[in-house]
Amino acid sequence: MIRTLNRRLPGVWATAERRQSALYWLIMLLPLPLAIYTIGLGRYAIPTEDVVRALVDYVTAGENTSTQPDLAYNIVTRIRLPRIAAALVIGANLAVTGTAFQGIFRNPLVDSNILGVTSGAGFGAALALLLLRSSFEVQLFAFVFGLVAVMLSYFTSRLYHTAPLLVLTLVGILVGSFFSSLTSLLKYVADPLDTLPAITYWLMGGLTDVTRGDIPALAIISLGGMAFLWGVRWRLNVLSMGDNEALALGLNPTRLKLMIIVCSTLMTAMAVSVGGVIGWVGLVIPHAARTLVGPDHQRLIPSTMALGAVFLLLIDTMSRTLLPAEVPLGVFTGVVGVPLLLVILRVNKTGWR
Amino acid sequence: MLKRSIVLIVLIALCAGGTTPASHAQSDGGLRVLALEAAQAPVDAWTAAFAEASGVSVTVEYAPASEAILDRAAEADVMILDDFEAEPPIAFECGFVSRAYRLLPDLGARFLASNSCAGSMGPLDEAAQALVTFMAGPDGQQIAIDLGLLPATVEIVDQAGEAVSVPQPVRRIASPYSIATYYVYGVGAGNRLVAAGYLGARDPAGAEAMRRLDPNFDTVMNAVSTLNQQEANIEELAALQPDLLLASARTDWLDAAGELGLPVIRFEGESPERLKDAMTLIGAVLGPDAAYRAELFNAYYDGTLAEILAQTETIEPRARVLFSGTEPLRVASGEMYQTAMVEAAGGEPVTADLSGYWNDVNLEQVAIWNPEVIFYPPYGGANREAFTESEEWAIIPAVQAGRVYGLPKLAAPWDTPVPDSILGILWIAETLYPDQVTLDCTAEVHAFYNLFYDYAITEDEVQGLCP
Repeated sequence: MIRTLNRRLPGVWATAERRQSALYWLIMLLPLPLAIYTIGLGRYAIPTEDVVRALVDYVTAGENTSTQPDLAYNIVTRIRLPRIAAALVIGANLAVTGTAFQGIFRNPLVDSNILGVTSGAGFGAALALLLLRSSFEVQLFAFVFGLVAVMLSYFTSRLYHTAPLLVLTLVGILVGSFFSSLTSLLKYVADPLDTLPAITYWLMGGLTDVTRGDIPALAIISLGGMAFLWGVRWRLNVLSMGDNEALALGLNPTRLKLMIIVCSTLMTAMAVSVGGVIGWVGLVIPHAARTLVGPDHQRLIPSTMALGAVFLLLIDTMSRTLLPAEVPLGVFTGVVGVPLLLVILRVNKTGWR
Repeated sequence: MLKRSIVLIVLIALCAGGTTPASHAQSDGGLRVLALEAAQAPVDAWTAAFAEASGVSVTVEYAPASEAILDRAAEADVMILDDFEAEPPIAFECGFVSRAYRLLPDLGARFLASNSCAGSMGPLDEAAQALVTFMAGPDGQQIAIDLGLLPATVEIVDQAGEAVSVPQPVRRIASPYSIATYYVYGVGAGNRLVAAGYLGARDPAGAEAMRRLDPNFDTVMNAVSTLNQQEANIEELAALQPDLLLASARTDWLDAAGELGLPVIRFEGESPERLKDAMTLIGAVLGPDAAYRAELFNAYYDGTLAEILAQTETIEPRARVLFSGTEPLRVASGEMYQTAMVEAAGGEPVTADLSGYWNDVNLEQVAIWNPEVIFYPPYGGANREAFTESEEWAIIPAVQAGRVYGLPKLAAPWDTPVPDSILGILWIAETLYPDQVTLDCTAEVHAFYNLFYDYAITEDEVQGLCP
């Protein structure tokens, strides 16, 4: 709709449109070559031809057929590939859910954590670490409690009959704080030698422990959710104009918002249950994308996915290659993301005003 | 030092195995003390106070020199002499000579348990032990202070660099620092703890072991509802009226505790040298016997290290060792005690260049380090399966060779800077080089817990502790 408007406008608008269109295609083309490039990077030095051979073997035969040592093949296929895949998917996932939330909340300060999904997931993970300790249960608990927190926020907010979005935001913040407090309580009773480090470690977030087994569930839920959000991209444009416009255009805003919230929550909970708490992606990337390609969700949704994937891939690559000891991902996203956001807010000419 | 341990074990074995009844006659049912003439003033005061408090009659006979006392050891229940480290020329068929207790800087005591068969002590032997522990404990120290033989205050500089002045004697110790708790046991003052944290004793096995080491464990552990490095219930703590607070150099709540006006000693024992310094410090403030036990511990530590070194220093190539933590990819930095232990045991710690505390790394980095042996600690849910059943870890040589080992613990984990860690070093050396290292872990474990925890460890416990 905005695009049709733009087309009719001459001069400045048309130039901006051409620039945004070029940037859009550039962004969309970025993730794949970058991903292939980063497969060659790592603490363990593997010659490029061996990396290529490992990849070719992996794709064609599914096992190491060459004379190069098994170790290189295993590092490429079992350690780097799953981690790069996870970084791409989680980055895209968090960025696109952030965009969707900013759209439906009509608020540039929210991301998909606003309804407490991360705090709930953190509590679930801490609970599982305290009681059960198996990594499958930790992921399951994180996922389930992430959903529980959001349901609590959503249904509690329905009890109040004024300004639904504002109340939902407020209740989301409250529920998030509530689960954070519960997590603190668990940390308080946890054995400082045993369980506490495990909980702290989980809450810091990171892709160090990602293995091939984590990828299918993450990919299915994330890609499914992304497909849905892509499918409703023009409706997001309508929603971001407000409920009255949406009703006037024949949409049921309440039901649509609920569907988007459910979808985004499933996606975020999945991402958090695999990668732990990775902040800033869902806030910084939508703003960056909006600056680059404009506020139209037709382009915004795909380009936030691509930018989010690239952002987390770069950050995770730094985290795994720079030092012998890993820099926690949450630290890096904040250190890189906050200055980036400040710059974006300075140069931002489109979108939120 | 190993010889000393063996003597002790032989004595215990004799004590446990012998069945012949008492070898020397009892006089009137009272305790007979043989003491050095020069120490008449304190000995009279000690024995009088003990007799009054316990109702046991005590007869003291004085001799001019230690040699005379040692020669007549068979006639006595308790010997008080200056050459207290000398072994009396006496062997019981059914009994034992106690370890040496230091009462004053140059005076010590032993009791002779001549009626102790199969591990149970006769009533007179128990009285003799009670007299010696009375003299070596805070009551005896108070009497010596009143006589001007010991200082009323001890000045030390703690491991945070603070000067601390500790009024003597210390009767009630609160140890929020769960590592320092074991320093107190190590110098034989565990019975003075009124509130303490216990490293590694929150899981059922650790708690059960700690209960065997100290029957009062549950009371002491639960005396204050909240007591750890991060926080403490200061009022509950104050209600216990401790004389001394043992804290970590990294404890947060000390300013509030400082308002109680209690002496606080701060420890930071993350290296072999600093562990020994910590033991010296705790010994210095808990009286002459504790100071003596700290000296014994440090000598034992150095002696055992030297024996390990003698067997491992020529081994080439050194085993490349990864010390992993509560998660497989959390590894001990070069500044941590675990790394020092691996070095002392003759291994090559692959993470020696890392700094700080536990470091999170990735598996590629581990592949570069290429470890041949992996150790994991006895806490935090760390387990062998996390390595051996992971297809990612299968690329690491240590995992391929099955050389993944968990350090043991009795109560305190053997990989932390507690006195028991010397056994951890021994254990690592034996595990790394089973063919070259021929030290006897079983014997050392028996000796260690006898010497430093006054605990006769059972065969079942030893089974779980030695490789």
